[in-house]
Parts: sequence; C-alpha cells; structure tokens
Amino acid sequence: MTTATVAGSVGRNERMEQFVYDDAVVRLFLLATLVWGLVGMLVGIVIALELANPVFNLGLPWISFGRLRPLHTNAVIFAFAGNAIFTGVYYSTQRLLKARMWSDGLSRLHFWGWQAIIVAAALTLPLGITQSKEYAELEWPIDIAIALVWVVFSVNVFGTIVRRRERHLYVAIWFYIATLVAIAVLHIFNNLVVVAGPFKSYSIYAGVQDAFMQWWYGHNAVAFFLTTPFLGMMYYFLPKAADRPIFSYRLSILHFWTLVFIYIWAGPHHLHYTALPAWASTLGMLFSVMLWMPSWGGMVNGLLTLRGAWHKVTEDPVLKFFVVAVTFYGMSTFEGPLLSIKGVNALSHYTDWTIAHVHAGALGWVGFMVFGMVYWLLPRLFQAELWSKRLAELHFWIATVGILLYIVAIYAAGLTQGLMWRAFDETGRLAYPDFIETTVRLLPMYWVRVVGGVLYIAGMVLCGVNALMTWRRGPARYAESVHEAPALRPLPAEAEPGGFKHAAWHRRWEGLPLTFSVWVAVAVVTASLFEIVPMFLIGSNVPTIQAVHPYTPLELAGRDVYVAEGCNNCHSQMIRPIRAETMRYGEYSKPGEFVYDHPFLWGSRRIGPDLARVGGKYPDLWHVRHMGDPRSTTPQSIMPAYPWLARTPIKWSAVERGVAAQATLGVPYTREEVTGAATLARAQGKRIAAAIAQQGGPAGLEETELVALVAYLQRLGTDIKKSSTTAAAAMGGEGTGR
Amino acid sequence: MKLADVVSAMHFNLFAQIALVIALAGFATVVVSVFLARNREPFRQASLMPLADDRPADPTGGRA
Repeated sequence: MTTATVAGSVGRNERMEQFVYDDAVVRLFLLATLVWGLVGMLVGIVIALELANPVFNLGLPWISFGRLRPLHTNAVIFAFAGNAIFTGVYYSTQRLLKARMWSDGLSRLHFWGWQAIIVAAALTLPLGITQSKEYAELEWPIDIAIALVWVVFSVNVFGTIVRRRERHLYVAIWFYIATLVAIAVLHIFNNLVVVAGPFKSYSIYAGVQDAFMQWWYGHNAVAFFLTTPFLGMMYYFLPKAADRPIFSYRLSILHFWTLVFIYIWAGPHHLHYTALPAWASTLGMLFSVMLWMPSWGGMVNGLLTLRGAWHKVTEDPVLKFFVVAVTFYGMSTFEGPLLSIKGVNALSHYTDWTIAHVHAGALGWVGFMVFGMVYWLLPRLFQAELWSKRLAELHFWIATVGILLYIVAIYAAGLTQGLMWRAFDETGRLAYPDFIETTVRLLPMYWVRVVGGVLYIAGMVLCGVNALMTWRRGPARYAESVHEAPALRPLPAEAEPGGFKHAAWHRRWEGLPLTFSVWVAVAVVTASLFEIVPMFLIGSNVPTIQAVHPYTPLELAGRDVYVAEGCNNCHSQMIRPIRAETMRYGEYSKPGEFVYDHPFLWGSRRIGPDLARVGGKYPDLWHVRHMGDPRSTTPQSIMPAYPWLARTPIKWSAVERGVAAQATLGVPYTREEVTGAATLARAQGKRIAAAIAQQGGPAGLEETELVALVAYLQRLGTDIKKSSTTAAAAMGGEGTGR
Repeated sequence: MKLADVVSAMHFNLFAQIALVIALAGFATVVVSVFLARNREPFRQASLMPLADDRPADPTGGRA
C-alpha cells in the first residue's frame, strides 16, 4: 500500500518538525478499560443472578438489585466504554493530526480525574446515593467533576487540533468533535438540579418535561457516547487492521452529517403512549426511522472496507472482532428504528426486548469494537508480539456464543412478557391477571442469560490474561519513535476546484476545525431546541388537574427512599392508554398527575408491576410485610427483601431540606409546611404506624424509612381517584402546572 | 401575560414539523453535492490518511 500521495505531501524546501506521540496515556486508558470492563460485567453477572433467584441479594442493602443495576450500567458505559473511547481517541487523534497531545498534564489529569469519578460512582451508587435518572444517576458533586474532566479532555483535543501538522481533519476526528460537543450539552442540561444536601438534589424539571429531558439525554448518550466515538474508531482502526482505505469517503460525509442532525431528535420514542404529548413522540418516531439509513450507510462503509481482504478475516482475530461488531451495529440500528414504531413499541416497551436490544448493541457493537482495538493496540503499545493469538481467537468465539445465548434468551423473555401482559381470554378478561404469572415464566430464560454473561466475561478474562502477558513481554522502557512532518501551512484561498458540485465546501470545512465544530454544535442545539421549546412553553402539553396536590413531607421522604433503593429500576409509574394496561392497573396516567414529580419516576421496564395506582390497593400492613419479605405476600416473587427499612430512622433534617428544595422549584408548599416539615412528617408517621399496629403489624415503626415509603406508595395515583368528577372538570385548563 | 401564553397561542409545535421538512431538504442537498462530485481525487487522498500516519521518521530525512 503506497502512502506517497497522501494529502499534505511535503515539498522539498519545507522545514520538517520532529515529534513523538504520548502513548503512555494510551497504555493507561487501555489497562483501565480492561480492569473496569471486568468489574462492570461482574456486577452484571451478580444482578443477572439476583433476577434469576432473589436469594443472591443476600439481604444486604448495598448489593440489592435496585442499587447495583445503575452501578452495572454506569460501570459498563462510562468506565469500560468511556476508557476505551479515550484509548482510541488519544491514540488516533495524535496520529491523524501528526501532533503530540496538546498537554501531557491535561492528559494525566483527564486519566486520573476519570478514574476518581468511577471510584466515586462505585462508592455512592451502592449506598443509594442517586438522582434516579437512567445513565445519569450520579449525584451533583460527581456531575460537576464529570463536567470539569470533560472540559479538560475537550481542551486537550481541541488544543491538539490547533497544534496539528495535518491540514485536513479525517472523518474519525469529526466523530470525536461531535462527541465532545454533544456530550457536554447533554450532560449539563439533563443534570440541572436544586441541591438539597451534600449528596441529594432534585431535578429542576418535573414530570412530563423531566421525562422528555431524561430521554433526550438518555437516547443521545447512546448516540454520542456509545455510537459516534466508536464510529470514529471504526473509521480509523478498521482500515488500519485491514490495510485498506475506507470504502467510501463520500459516504462517510453523508454518514456523519445525517447521523449528527437526525440522532438528536429521536429521544421521545422512549416515551410512546406515555403522558408525553403525542406530537413529540411521533416526531421522535419519524426521526428514528430516518436514522436507519445513515446508520446502515456507516455499516456498509465499514463492511465494504474489507473488499478484497475477506481472506484476512479467517486468520486475524482483530478483523473478526471488527466484522462482528459492525454487523451488530447494523442489526442494532435496524432494530432501534423498528422498536421506535408506535405499534411495535406498544408490545416491546417495559419488556426485556429493550434489554436484549441494548445488550446486542453494547456487547456486540461496543464490546467487540473495544476488543478488536485492544488486540490491535497491544503489540504496538507494549512493543511486543501478542502473547497468544489462539487465546484471542478463543476469546472471540466464547464471547460470540455468550452474546447469542444472552440475547436469544432475553428476546424470548421480552416477547413472552409483552404477549402475556396483553393476552385476553375468550371472555375478554386478562388471561394472566396476576403479574407474577408472567415473571415466573421468564426464570429459565434468566438463567440462560447468566450462562451467556459468564461466557462473555470469561472471554474478557482471556483478553486480560493476553494483555498482561503481552505487557510482561515488552521492554522495561518503551522506545519512543520520532516522527516528522512539516508545520501546518495556511489554508489557500482556493485550495481545490470548488463549488457545490465538487463538494469542495466540505473539503474546506475539513481544514477549518472551528467552522466544523460550530456546525456540529448548531446541528445538536437547533434540533434540541425544536423539541425542547414547545415542550416547555406550550401549556396544553401538561393540562393541570386541580385534585393533584404536592406530596406531604413524609410522602416526599418516602419518595426519596424509593429513589435511593432504585425501585424505579423494576417498577414503572406510567399506565399507558392500552386496554391490557388499564384493565390490569387502572385509569391511564395523565400529564397533570406528575407536575410535582421532581424527578419523574416513570421507569423504563417492568420486572415488577406498574405502581402508578398502587395507592390504596393494599392495606399498610401488606406493604410492611411485602418489604420485609416479598415471598410472604407473593410466594414466587423475585423482589429483594428490604428488612433494613424497618430499622433505618428517617433523617428529619433531610426531610426539611427536601421540602425547602422542592418549594424552591415552585412546588406550592406553604411557609408553615416548609418550616414545620419534620413536625408534619412525624405526625403522619405516627398515624400510619398506629394503623399498622392496629392491623396486627409490628409496633414502633413511626420514625422509620419503612413508614415513609408506605406513606408514599399509598399516595400513588390516588389524587384523581379522590375526586374524579372534579378532576375531569379541571382537565383541559392550560398552564405549566407549576 | 407569560411567555408560555404567547408560545401556546403560536401553535409552536408546528415548527418541529417544519424542521422535519428542512432536515429532509438538507439531507437531499448534501447527498446531491457529495455524490455529484466529479473530482474524486481529494476524497481518495483523504481516505488514505489513517494508513499513512504511523511511520517513524526516516533517519536520513528522506534525502538518502
């Protein structure tokens, strides 16, 4: 392969500059990727076991499913995938720009800052310190740290771009720029909160609007953290591994811009048939379907890069990982638009189908891209031959079988759930009225998932062994290759024959990083505003309901317990206007019911039943027994037991701070309710505890978190039941609900 | 009168649908522009960039 004609070829009289790349930081990020990948996936195995049999919760609060599930998702996304992104970005950016990273100090600060954030997440999430929003659970001090470290990373990358010796930015760099810009916007605006304590905050958005912001963030976290950086890595590492240029550079232009412009709109498809306005979810569906084309453009571009090199795939584990990764990318990006279609979503939403979809993307696309990159980098970074190619091959096959076992079982589980929930008998009644009937049916599939997960993690162990042994083979001191290139020349006014027909405008942008970045920001921000502005400023989106009142201080404390224990990881609070749901759970949920919900707690899956109208369904004592031992009320339940709630006292100062923070957000508490929050909560706690004792339950619960949780659960969905006629009359009144 | 009252009266959610049409038109423009390009050499050169980036410097400075 000749490289003599590459853009920027050097004239004889140009002064050459010599430089070395900073590979030490790449080595650090690569090792962190493997370590955190093992940790994150081990936690995944633990929670898979907990779902298969609740005995694995061990009765310990800090490893119960609700607390560990966010740790698993955060560890895999931000620790495993995050460190892999930084590995790929630091390695390829320096080489594509022909420049060492702008600042070694910032590189080290980025590395250690990110690892400190991961450790903080690993400590706080098991302690129940969470904002409850999926993939954005970390509390405000950690969110600030993430923002600062992201700024460090961005300054370092943009500084390197400024200092580059290569005029044109290769397509991989475009995807990195999109990641830097979009993640900053998403992280900041989804994490705007009012602080209610050192590790407690409430989202500034409520109900419908909070749900919208969360899934604007959540979907685009997938887009700009798990897709665009990995596409950048695909455009760099796949040609390197295949020793072939990318199939079509022009297709990559189309792939990039359509992806950046379209992805940002698609978030509302996570909220079909919920209380979100229909115009928003329809718009999300349309853009999601449109996403199929650019995504497949990227997949085709990746796979066709191997034209003439397919014979190498049989011999090279790196290419094997890349081929399967790109194939999973194609499958996931076909399935995503499919799931966004309302008719399909009515069946799939809240079921394990979504979990299977996510894992096909995470284990197949992200995981295999990482492993391909790791095996390609190991000999180059550690300056030694890969310890065992056969072990890498074994890793590939074990992990592939592991993914297939995992997703086939969970697709089957998801379809089973969806079909059983909506099944009617010949008399028109629900065929499976007890939710537990559907849960029990899934248990064999949950065990298959455990086996699949164990295989996948076994492959990771093999990768770790291979990395360790390759590292040991390397020299004690790594040689630093000296590279040279001419300094960056000013962009000529008419660099290339131009005009619209020759797409010279884009070639020019590729040499103007500021212009390029501004257009990326415009794409992200404009698209977001087209959805956000109407969502927040059109009163009819959230018709108010007069019967809906703020939570009492004790109910708010119970809501905080619900959040801390991660109940929203298994229970939704959103009844869709679908017959099977209204028959099972009651009246469908209205937007106005959530105007005081900072944050919203609609959930995204139903491992257990929906709780939107659980208030008043059971006596207080039922909840006490259910929390102490779920099998005592529902014999086959897989819910963890929460015995510690009956022993943990309510923190009255936190109750006062919580009510004050909610009042700051516009929740209409009176001054007396704010200043006397603890007193009011104590009084309500006494009443509930007395009722529990009267029903034959234990005495002395009045100041425990259990009573607060019971108060909250008994309130859920009851406002519109109290006065349905008043509520109906009040609906349709316009206002923001504040 | 609040901003929400003004925006509510504007039927602002129509703007999102207009944006959908604009996005489609923009997409078509980029497709036409990129795939009508007759001079493919710059694209070919750009596609070679990852393959040319990792060679250590020639100790003779390329003048041997």
